[in-house]
Amino acid sequence: MLQTVATADPFIPRRARSEVVRKAFFYTVIALVAAIFFVPFIYTLTTSFKTLPDAANVTFLPHPWTTSAWHTIWSDYDFKTYIKNSVFLAVVITVCNLFLSGLGGYAFARLKFPGRELLFLLVLGTLMVPDQLRLIPVFVMLTNWHLVGNFNGYILINLVTATNLFFMRQYFLTIPKDFEEAAKLDGAGYFKTFWRVMLPLALPAISALVILQFQGTWNDFFWPLILFGQGNPSHYTIQLGLAELNFQYGVLWPEICAGSIIAILPILAIFVAFQRYFISGVVSAGVKG
Amino acid sequence: MFGVRLREAGWGYGFVAVPIAVFGLFFVYPFGYAVYISFFHWGILGKQSAGTGTFNYAKVLHDPVFHIALKNVAEYTIGVVPLTMGLGLSLALVINQKIRGRNFFRSAFYFPSIASSVAITTIALYIFNANGLFNHIIGSRTPWFQSASTVIWAIVGLNSWTSAGTAMLYYLAALQSIPTDVYEAAAVDNTGAWRTFWKITFPLLRPANFFILVVFGIGALKLFDQAFIVGGGSGGPNNSTQTPVLYIYREAFSNFDFGVAAAAGVIYFVIIFGLTVVQRLTIGRQDAY
Repeated sequence: MLQTVATADPFIPRRARSEVVRKAFFYTVIALVAAIFFVPFIYTLTTSFKTLPDAANVTFLPHPWTTSAWHTIWSDYDFKTYIKNSVFLAVVITVCNLFLSGLGGYAFARLKFPGRELLFLLVLGTLMVPDQLRLIPVFVMLTNWHLVGNFNGYILINLVTATNLFFMRQYFLTIPKDFEEAAKLDGAGYFKTFWRVMLPLALPAISALVILQFQGTWNDFFWPLILFGQGNPSHYTIQLGLAELNFQYGVLWPEICAGSIIAILPILAIFVAFQRYFISGVVSAGVKG
Repeated sequence: MFGVRLREAGWGYGFVAVPIAVFGLFFVYPFGYAVYISFFHWGILGKQSAGTGTFNYAKVLHDPVFHIALKNVAEYTIGVVPLTMGLGLSLALVINQKIRGRNFFRSAFYFPSIASSVAITTIALYIFNANGLFNHIIGSRTPWFQSASTVIWAIVGLNSWTSAGTAMLYYLAALQSIPTDVYEAAAVDNTGAWRTFWKITFPLLRPANFFILVVFGIGALKLFDQAFIVGGGSGGPNNSTQTPVLYIYREAFSNFDFGVAAAAGVIYFVIIFGLTVVQRLTIGRQDAY
């Protein structure tokens, strides 16, 4: 009690005015900065409802409003196929990553086997191999196995990532062993213990993994460009389709803006719903790194 | 007893088998395979002749385009890293105040970091084109992303805006880990906010600064998506959007010279690795606490 008074005391005479000024200053700054972050997205959204000549006018509201750009990219430029492809890849790869990095993370966290530390070092070592180095050999390997130009090669190289496996292992290490011992007493095997006990306990980690992996695959541009970016548009993802629209019809601003909104919107929706997982994921990665 | 251990080891190997296979096949093996390919004439159909040698390395090291790519990415990194850190720290300091709606602002500032890079770049091309919103506001007609003299700085501006949100989250975590009693001591001494920041907060952020410098520095050296979209995949105008990763991509998929591409990949890996080691030995050592 005495201490609180002592530390707060020097503030009291000056607080009232300086606090108001400070607050006003911060709200002004933050509103300006927020405008810089919002205006581009809002402007893009409203442009997607403009006609082509109107898109040359620097005005926020379309005159007249039209949904023709949305119709065009949906039917003429086949964005529905690109969305389907992107959703398919993101779902398959996220499920594979969840299962395999969960299983692997559990084994590295809990099961004892000779060479475990060495193999775990190998997992961490993969983080040091950059994409630009493995690009050529991986492309050559996948070409030899006829896995280029379709989704199989892309799924295969993305089945599980070291980041996800490491993340799951770290989470499993924080779970008390009592739960598994109880399961063991009930006669559950290793897989059943993982599936019925450990995985449900790791729900916060799983949520973060699912969201971040879905976002990563949805936004991925580099590997899709290399593995199915040349040639057949039936395999294009949304990012490839948008890049192609950009290169081919760079002045069709309403269509391009509509395409950009489609490429962003699902991630925005997931972000609004689950933002704390994004933020905790980034921060925990930062603290560990 | 021995049987139980053997059983546990068996399940352990089983659980990590697929991840280890994926990492071995698509990370560890390609590391060596890239070096192997770099010593041959290697085209889209595979190894072309029995001749081996360091000719691919000589070609990359003497290629003026590769030099331009290195110069561009160096300028970009020197520009984007301090700018991202400065913006990120400023945003973190604002968000760290007791203001209403801070979670909302934090999310708004972070969102560009997780939105599709292709879509963000596309929107930037629209807003910063010669007749676009930005030029309308500042009263200019500069084609920021189309002119060889401004494009790399336009990408610097774009990407520091995009990734400032991630830097902000790292800084927020660091700011919140600073014990409050040091601020209470400063308040007792009537130290001003500006002085408190430079004398107390900033020195305590040293480990965070180092971490963010390394993460964003390595990320910046891998510039690809934005340069690819802006330059239409060609590195133009006049090689101004050429980057080392784009150079590797173009040697492989425009010139179909996998040997040169692999050699460039190895060279660039050595450069980044060397920079990381130097950084650890110079700045990193003082941060051992």
